Parts: sequence; structure tokens; C-alpha cells
Amino acid sequence: MDSSLTSEKLDHLEHHLSQEHEHDEQANSMFGFIVFLLSESIIFLSFFAGYIIYKTTTVDWLPTGVSGLEIKEPAINTVILVSSSFVIYVAEQFLERHKLWGFRLFLLVTMAMGTYFLVGQGIEWHGLKFGFTSGVFEGMFYLLTGFHGLHVFTGILLQGIMLGRSFIPGNYDTGHFGIMATSLFWHFVDVIWIILFVLLYLWQ
Amino acid sequence: MFPYQALRRQQLMTTINNNNSQEKIVIETHIEHHHQASARDWKRYFSFSTDHKVIGIQYLVTSFFFFLVGGIFAMIIRGELITPESDLVDRTFYNGMFTMHGTIMLFLWTFPSLVGLANYLVPLMIGARDMAFPRLNAAAFWMVPVVGILVMASFFVPSGSAQAGWWSYPPVSLQNPSGDLISGQFLWILAVAISGVSSIMGAVNFVTTIVKMRAPGMTFFRMPAFVWTVFSAQIIQLFGLPALTAGAVMLLFDLTVGTSFFDPAKGGNAVLFQHFFWFYSHPAVYVIILPIFGIFSEIFPVYSRKPLFGYKVVAISSLIIAGVSGLVWVHHMYASGTPGWMRMVFMLSTMCVSVPTGIKVFAWVGTIWGGKLRLNTPMLFALGALIMFVFAGITGIMLSAVPIDIHVNNTYFVVGHFHYVLYGTVTMGMYAALYHWFPKMTGRMYYEGLGQLHFWLAFIGTNLNFLPMHPLGLQGMLRRVSSYDPQYTFWNVIASLGGFLLGMSTLPFILNMVSSWIQGQAAGDNPWRAIGLEWLTTSPPDIENFEEIPLVISEPYGYGKSEPLTANGHVKSE
Amino acid sequence: MKKRRILLLMITAIALSLISLWIGQLSYGWLPPQGTTEAILIDNLFTFLVSLGSFIFLGVTGVVIYFVMFNRVAKYDWSDGPAIEGNVTLEIIWTVIPILLVFWIAGYSYQIYQQMGIQGGHHHSHQSIDIETVKTVDKPFETIEVIAKQWAWIFHYPESNITSTELHLPIDQRVHLALRSQDVLHGFYIPAFRVKQDMIPQETIALEFTPIRQGNYQLTDSQFSGTYFATMTANVVVQSKEDYETWLKKAAKQTPFLADNQAFSEYNQQSQKMIKTGWPSIKPAQPPLVNYQ
Ligand code: HEA
Ligand code: HEA
Ligand code: CUA
Ligand SMILES: [Cu+2]
Repeated sequence: MDSSLTSEKLDHLEHHLSQEHEHDEQANSMFGFIVFLLSESIIFLSFFAGYIIYKTTTVDWLPTGVSGLEIKEPAINTVILVSSSFVIYVAEQFLERHKLWGFRLFLLVTMAMGTYFLVGQGIEWHGLKFGFTSGVFEGMFYLLTGFHGLHVFTGILLQGIMLGRSFIPGNYDTGHFGIMATSLFWHFVDVIWIILFVLLYLWQ
Repeated sequence: MFPYQALRRQQLMTTINNNNSQEKIVIETHIEHHHQASARDWKRYFSFSTDHKVIGIQYLVTSFFFFLVGGIFAMIIRGELITPESDLVDRTFYNGMFTMHGTIMLFLWTFPSLVGLANYLVPLMIGARDMAFPRLNAAAFWMVPVVGILVMASFFVPSGSAQAGWWSYPPVSLQNPSGDLISGQFLWILAVAISGVSSIMGAVNFVTTIVKMRAPGMTFFRMPAFVWTVFSAQIIQLFGLPALTAGAVMLLFDLTVGTSFFDPAKGGNAVLFQHFFWFYSHPAVYVIILPIFGIFSEIFPVYSRKPLFGYKVVAISSLIIAGVSGLVWVHHMYASGTPGWMRMVFMLSTMCVSVPTGIKVFAWVGTIWGGKLRLNTPMLFALGALIMFVFAGITGIMLSAVPIDIHVNNTYFVVGHFHYVLYGTVTMGMYAALYHWFPKMTGRMYYEGLGQLHFWLAFIGTNLNFLPMHPLGLQGMLRRVSSYDPQYTFWNVIASLGGFLLGMSTLPFILNMVSSWIQGQAAGDNPWRAIGLEWLTTSPPDIENFEEIPLVISEPYGYGKSEPLTANGHVKSE
Repeated sequence: MKKRRILLLMITAIALSLISLWIGQLSYGWLPPQGTTEAILIDNLFTFLVSLGSFIFLGVTGVVIYFVMFNRVAKYDWSDGPAIEGNVTLEIIWTVIPILLVFWIAGYSYQIYQQMGIQGGHHHSHQSIDIETVKTVDKPFETIEVIAKQWAWIFHYPESNITSTELHLPIDQRVHLALRSQDVLHGFYIPAFRVKQDMIPQETIALEFTPIRQGNYQLTDSQFSGTYFATMTANVVVQSKEDYETWLKKAAKQTPFLADNQAFSEYNQQSQKMIKTGWPSIKPAQPPLVNYQ
């Protein structure tokens, strides 16, 4: 068996291996990214835990003159953000089939939906009667939505980079780690928002 | 043709044939060898290198520098406390001293030094060429000097350094008498946050490396115990640190823009910060101690020439310790106004840590039992550290009992407890590791005589310094005081003298390291005749660690079994 | 041969136990005088833990030292020891015994804690004192308000409307305190009483204990409270019921005056330390107006 391997064949195998090697690097990166997201989710969990403790122990929870948060616009925002998770999934599917233009289109739609969400958030902030430093509830509200908004912004940025990179020839020869990570990050941001929406808006 | 070459071809064949992904990962052989002119010159230690061995040494040297800085602060503390009156330094400065001493010792000495050691050893021990993400690794390292600069800069801002203790409990930490935005406390929070980011980057890297980059045949239960402990410790980092980050962010907003999260005067909750802080900072002490346990598990077999007793149980108990450590944080807050039921629940959970820890301690004793002991410097340090650890663990159990802690909380009894772990165990264990792997890292031998001198000075110094703290605490002397009742003078004088002796003990160490690195005897690849992948390669190892990726065929501690560790024998280059 | 080993082991164990018990008894001497009933309870628990701890410590180090003394090898002897990789029975034993010990220690500590009944943890947030709800066996006794601020202690006796910088307590009476802080965290701690409780701004925390020994004691702030933390001490006087009543009457007659305060005077003085940095400090609160100092 050993003898059947000429050195030429071995060279070929080794060449093959060096490509496999890049696959492995991508697999490692994906693994590392998931580990990172797990860790990142603990920050949110800590903020959530803080919010729950404050809400259940603070006497004057809502600021004077405020009876609760307006829920209609945030609900629409939520629907948009959550559906954008499906849109980016479709984009990924296009890429799998190496249909680049479909991929680009749906990625762009995702970005637009994310931007819509951010703008909506900004409008809501603008219309509120209270500020960051007015009290504990107010502080928590801005902290949670702000920190989440920062993640949405990062997600859109990543999508923009993926969009740009799709125009580089040979970009996908070594794998799809970038877009897989971006998409995973986007789902993560969505799930966080759903919990956040329940805590901030539904549980009043 | 050498046997290992034939073997390697076979490996290649089987991999390609059965498409086994586990193996595939491992046969990343970096075919094009870009041997960067094996540059051994010192300059690369000051440059942005992605070699895990260079980064490891960079971490070790940087953190040791900060150990000296933190140690000099400790000398000032002991200088002030040698007399009952507050006469050496201003009270504000004293408060800054213990705050910065604690902060530097934890965030700039223990964490980075252990990360450095793990950086150096883990890829070698699992038979990988480098960490999974070399550039991330370098980036994480270079944040450490940034943290150091921020911490040191706080001595030069008008407000002075942070002065609220290393816990920075609000509301004291929110009081800002200077009124400046860039206060010592502000820089402190920033430094802690950046150190957190660096640690998370490191943790992602370690976990990925250990899960994904092991050499063929290196199953989980063939990993050296040190790798198990690093793995467990880094998992704690991943799931604990974010809580501290969350607390730090909220504290920063309170301090700078005037939110009211932790300020009771504005409706906030000061105790919540304590929960955030200890939810991480308790597990953090196990982040520190676990790799030290790993060092014990490596060193005792080598110098007793016996396998590690109960290897599998020892390995698993690291994970159990990591798990339980997340459930005990309130034992730092018994006196903080926690309700009775909480005190009781956390008392029980805290005490439970002694079970997996005891398993390890007994396993080390079992390893030494009937062994052939060689008492050179690493072994002396490990034995000394083990004894002091058992002592510290027992005072820890006393602290975990609520009625006792109500009496001794925030007294020198606690300070005594944690210096027995942080100096007696962690720092001594670190010394053991530095001596043990020094020949591997530098290719040279340290001077045994200086090493022994270092050990005895450090061992006597530690006990003189920290043992008197226990009677002091039992008598009721509080920590963080710059003046105290004269009835406590006697033990304080002893402690201060012990402290100065301990300071002196670092001098033979520094002398030893520097001179043997420059002109020590050549050590050879395996001066201890130890079993382990790192001992199969050259000293110091080549840039790519191994010429051939080793194929592991047996368990890690085969002393007395004449069973080879790998199928491809000496995997060293040259 | 085997019998001899078991006998030897038993003798060692018994000797070890005796030594440990002896060290446990010694440990009473490491603690301050027992000023309260709680102190007696805590000291008993401490003694128990010291004995148990000594046994474990001496056991482990004894074995280590034995092998260090008798199992060293010659410099050039590189032969291996016996390849013992483990022993399941032994491993089970040294897992089960610590588990049992843990339950023993925790159970005993729980019992002691219940007997102490010092309150402490209970919050009475955002309300004035409602200590009346606390059930007591003794005849009710006025609740003394303890107020801490940077950096002074003030004790207020509401029934006789006395304010003092010294805490006077009658002996053999269950004492009820209402702890309050005006600025940052402080801690109420009297070493001889073995009681300690943090004080949290905006909250009133109840603390109970029973002094049983006449004399003067020192109260200290046990939770770091800023620059002059170390100066924040106060005298505590435990006296007979009669002396206590006389003191109350005497103090009530005094017209209030400004108390001395170390933090305040240090703050207003030039630093006399060898090394001066001049870092700014929070200004200490005005010294309190008291009837007694
Ligand atoms: C590496 C560091 C390290 C380690 C390993 C430990 C280990 C332990 N610590 Fe310690 N601790 C600190 C570092 C550490 N600690 C620090 C830094 C602080 C103070 C922070 C600050 O306030 O600034 C602190 C404070 C601290 C407190 C709070 C005290 C207070 O503030 O009032 C408590 C209370 O429960 C505690 C308990 C314990 C326990 C139960 C263990 C256990 O893990 C010990 C387990 C080990 C053993 C028990 C010995 C071996 C076991 C056997 C031989 C088996 C048989 C034994 C029995 C059945 C008992 N520690
Ligand atoms: C790994 C952690 C670590 C280490 C190694 C140490 C090491 C030492 N610590 Fe540490 N200490 C802490 C972690 C650590 N400490 C923490 C977390 C706190 C709590 C802080 C807080 O309350 O917020 C604390 C608090 C603390 C206090 C309590 C202060 C107070 O509450 O008021 C004291 C008091 O004695 C003390 C003393 C010492 C001494 C003497 C050493 C010695 O071992 C140091 C020896 C080393 C050196 C001295 C360096 C080498 C010196 C030279 C090269 C120069 C030679 C100099 C001379 C001989 C003068 N420390
Ligand atoms: Cu590999 Cu797509
Ligand atoms: Cu702890």
C-alpha cells in the first residue's frame, strides 16, 4: 500500500491537504465565533437580570407623568426586525447555489430592514419624555435599547462588508465563514430583541 | 526512509480515504515550510509576533514586571502598618495603594501570567503548531500593556488613583471629590473593562484551540491535566466575565453621566453592583487557581516518577469546580444585608467546592505516596504551595460558615486567607512552573542553588507575612485601615518584617532567571526525563513546534510503564 | 504485617485527633473576650472548625512530610516508581468522607446561625423603623437608632431623646438596633460581640444581640467608607441596668453640643505624613450635635 504512493501522488495529496487546512481554519473560526456569542449573551443576560431585579424591587418604578411605554411602533419594529432574520436566511440560500445577484439583493433588503429598525428606535427615543439619567427605569430602558441598537448597527456594518466583499473575485473559494457568521450574529441580535421586547414593552 | 515518514503517509491516506473530519483538522501540516531563519534574537520579544511561544513569554515578562510594581505597593502598605498611627503616607494615598495593589496583582499579575504560561504550553502539550487564532492572540496580549499604562496613569491625574478598593463598591466609588471626568476611578473602570475584553479574546482562543487543534490520537482523556484546567478556567472566563463587564458599564455611566443604577440616594441599588462584581470575581479566583492545580498535576508525577493518581477524576474535577464556582458568589456578601435563606444556601454551595478540590489534593498526595522524590526547585515550590493551599482552603471553609464570617468578614483573617492562596499557592505555584519549564523555554538550565535559596526565603517570608494576619483578624483588626488600635501592633510588626523578607526573596529569582538565560548551561530537550509532548521537541521549540505532528498513542503520565507516548517518537526538528 | 499497619494507622489517627482537639481548645484564646451570648455560640463553632481543620491539615502535611523525608532518590537515580494509576475504592472514600463532612459542618453552622437570631439580613426599606414586628422573648426594650455617616457614629435613644457618640447598653438584655447610613456603605462591628452588619443608605436594617459582660468595647466601621475609614470608631459601654438608667438620665439633662470628630479635625489640618500626595478627599460631614460624648 505504501509503495503505491509515488512522491508525485504524495505531492498532490499534500496540496489537497493545504486546501483542507483552510477549511479547517474556517471551521475553527465559526466555532470560535459561536463561543464568543455565547459569552456575549451573558452581558445581555446580566442586564436583563438587573432589569428584573430593579423592576421587582423599586418603589417608584415609572417616572412621574409616564404610565407606560407606547407599544404600537415598537411592535411594528419588532415584526420588521424578526422577519429580516428570514430574509438573510434566503440570502444565504442564494449564495449556497452560487447565485450571487440574488444573494446581494436579499442582503441589501436585510440591511434596509435593520436600518428601518434603527431609525424607528431613534424616533421612539426622540419622542420620549424622559432621559437617560432621570431614574433607574429610564436608565435601564436606554441602556438596554442602546446596547442592543449598537449590536444592530454592528450587524448592518458586517452585512455591508459582506456585500462589498461579494464583488471580490474568488472571495468564496475558501468558504463562507464571513456570511455564516454575519447571519448567525443577526439571528442572535433578533433573539435578544424578542426577550428585550417582552421585558420592556409587554411586561409593564 | 524514517519510520515516521512511512507512518505519516499512511496517515495521509487514511484521512483522505475515510474523510474523518476529526483527523483532518489535525493533519494540517503546513507543507510549505517558511522557516523564518530561526531568529532567536531578543528583538522578537518586543515585536508584534503571532508565535504563541513568543506571546507566552511576552505575557510572562510583562506580568512579572507588574508583580514587582504591585509588590512595591505592598511594601508601602506594610511600611505604613508597621506602626499603629497613620504616619507614612496620606490616608488617600494609602487607600490608593491597597486598591492598586489588589487590582494590579489580580488583573496584571495572576491573570496575564497564567494566560502566558498556558499560551506557551497548551499548543505544545496538545501537539498543535500554534493557537487557533494567532493574530487574535497577539492582539489580546498587546491590550495588557495598555491596561498597565491606564492603571499607572491614574497616579498622575489630579484626583489621584482609584481609592475604593479592588471591588470599587458604590457609592464610595461614585464619590469624586476632584470633580474631574478623568479621575482615577474612571481610568480604573476603563482598565478593568479592557482587561476583560483581552481575557475574553484569550478565552475564545483557548477553548477553540483545545477543542479543535489536538494532535491525532490526543483524545480528551489523553490531554495533560494542565490542559484540562486551562480549559475549565477559560470556560469560567467566558461565562463569568460578561457579568463584571455589565456592572462596570453601569458603574461608568453612574460615575460619568450621572445615571442612578447603583446610587441609593437616587433610587438605585448599591448591593446589585456587589452581585455583578462577585458573580464574576468569585469564579475569577478559580480561574487563577485551576491552572495552578494543573501545574501541580504536571510537576508531582515528574519528580515522583509515578503516574498522576486518579488522572480521569482529577481531570473531571476541574470542570466540576468550574461549574460549582458559578453558584457561590454570595459568600462575599454575607454581611451585605443578604437575607438569612440566601446566607444558608450559599454557605452550603460554597462548602461543596471542597469536595472536588479535596479529590485533587488527595490525588496529589497519592502521586507522591511511595514515589521517588527529587527535591529540586520546582518540586520544592510545588510542595510548599500544596501545603499552604490546604491551609488556605481550611480557612476558606471557616469563612464560608456564616456565623464565623459574620465575625471575621473584612478583617485581616480574610486577608490572611487570600494571601495564602494568592501568594502561598498561586505565586509559589507559578514559580514552580517557571523553574520547571525554564529549560524548555530558553534551552538553558537555571542555577539550582539560587533556586533553593529563593524557595526558602519565599516560604519563610510568606508564613511570617501572612500567618500573623489570622490572629489579627480573629482579634478584630479590620482590613483597609491606615491606622489601628495599638493592641494589634505586635503581629503587624512581624507581618511587615515578613513582608520585607518576601520582597527580598524575589531578588535571587530575578538574578537566577536573567543570568541563566544569558549564560546558563545548555539544558537539552528533556532534562527532567519527563513524559509529555512538549518534552519531545527541541528546547526551545522551533517556530512550528514540531517537525512532524505527533501521533499520540497512550495516556499522558506513563511513568513506570515503558509505553511510548507517540507513534512517531521524537518529533523534534533538526 | 497487615495487622501491624492497621494498628499503626489507628494509633496515628487517634494521636492526630487528640492533637487536633487540643489545638481546638487553644483557639478560644485567639479570640477577643466573649461579650455576648452570640459570641459563645460562634466560638464553639470556631473551635469545632479549628479541630476539624487541624486534623485535615496535619493529616495531609504529615503524609507529605513523611515522603519528603524518607522517599528521596539519589541524584543519578532516574528509575520510575510503581506505576499506580489510581484506586477506585480509595477515590470513593475520599469523595464520600468530605461530602459527609460538608453536610456536618453546614448543618452545625446552620444550627448556630438559627440560635443566634441576630436578624441582620432583613430589609426594612423605605420605611421608618418597624422593629415592633420582630418577635422577642425578652420584655421589649427600646430600639436604639444607629446612624453612620462619613465619618462619624451617632446613637439615638428615641424614648429619652438622647443623642450620643458613645453606645451604652444594659447587660443581659436583648438589644435591638436599627442601623442606618446617611451616605455610603458602612458596617457595624464590635469584635468582642462577634456581630457585624453592613449599613445601606436608604434602608433600615435590624440587628439584635445580648451583651453579657460589663466593660468597655470598641465599635468600628467594617465596610470601607472612604478616606477616613480607619478613624471611624466609637466606644461601647455595657453596664448594669441601674448604671444604664442613671446614664440615660444624666445624658438627657445635658444640652446638646458639637462632638469631637477625628476625621473632621484631620481634614482641616495640614498633612503631617512623611509622604504627601495631597489627593483630594470628600469633606467629612459636620460633627454631630450630641448630649453625650
Ligand atoms: C485563588 C484564589 C482563591 C481560592 C482558591 C479560594 C478558595 C476558597 N475560598 Fe477564598 N477568597 C479569595 C481567593 C481564593 N479563595 C480572595 C481573593 C478573597 C477575598 C477577596 C476580597 O475580599 O478582596 C476570598 C474570600 C473568601 C471568602 C469571603 C470572606 C469575606 O470576605 O468575608 C470566603 C467565604 O466563604 C472564601 C471561601 C473560600 C473557600 C470555601 C474556598 C475553597 O475553594 C477552598 C477549598 C479547599 C479546601 C477545603 C482544602 C482541600 C480540601 C481537602 C483536603 C478536603 C477535605 C476538606 C474538607 C471537607 C473541609 N474566600
Ligand atoms: C496575587 C495577588 C496578590 C499578591 C501576590 C499579593 C502580595 C502581597 N500582598 Fe496583597 N492583596 C491582594 C493580592 C495580592 N497580594 C489583594 C487582592 C488585596 C485586596 C485589596 C483590597 O482590599 O482592595 C491585597 C491586600 C493586601 C493587604 C491589605 C491592605 C489593607 O487591607 O489595608 C496587605 C497588607 O499587608 C497586603 C500585603 C501583601 C504583601 C506584603 C505581598 C507580598 O507578597 C509582595 C511581595 C513582592 C514584592 C515585594 C515585589 C518585589 C520587590 C522588589 C523587587 C523590591 C524589594 C523591596 C523591598 C524589600 C522593600 N496585600
Ligand atoms: Cu468550503 Cu464552501
Ligand atoms: Cu469567593
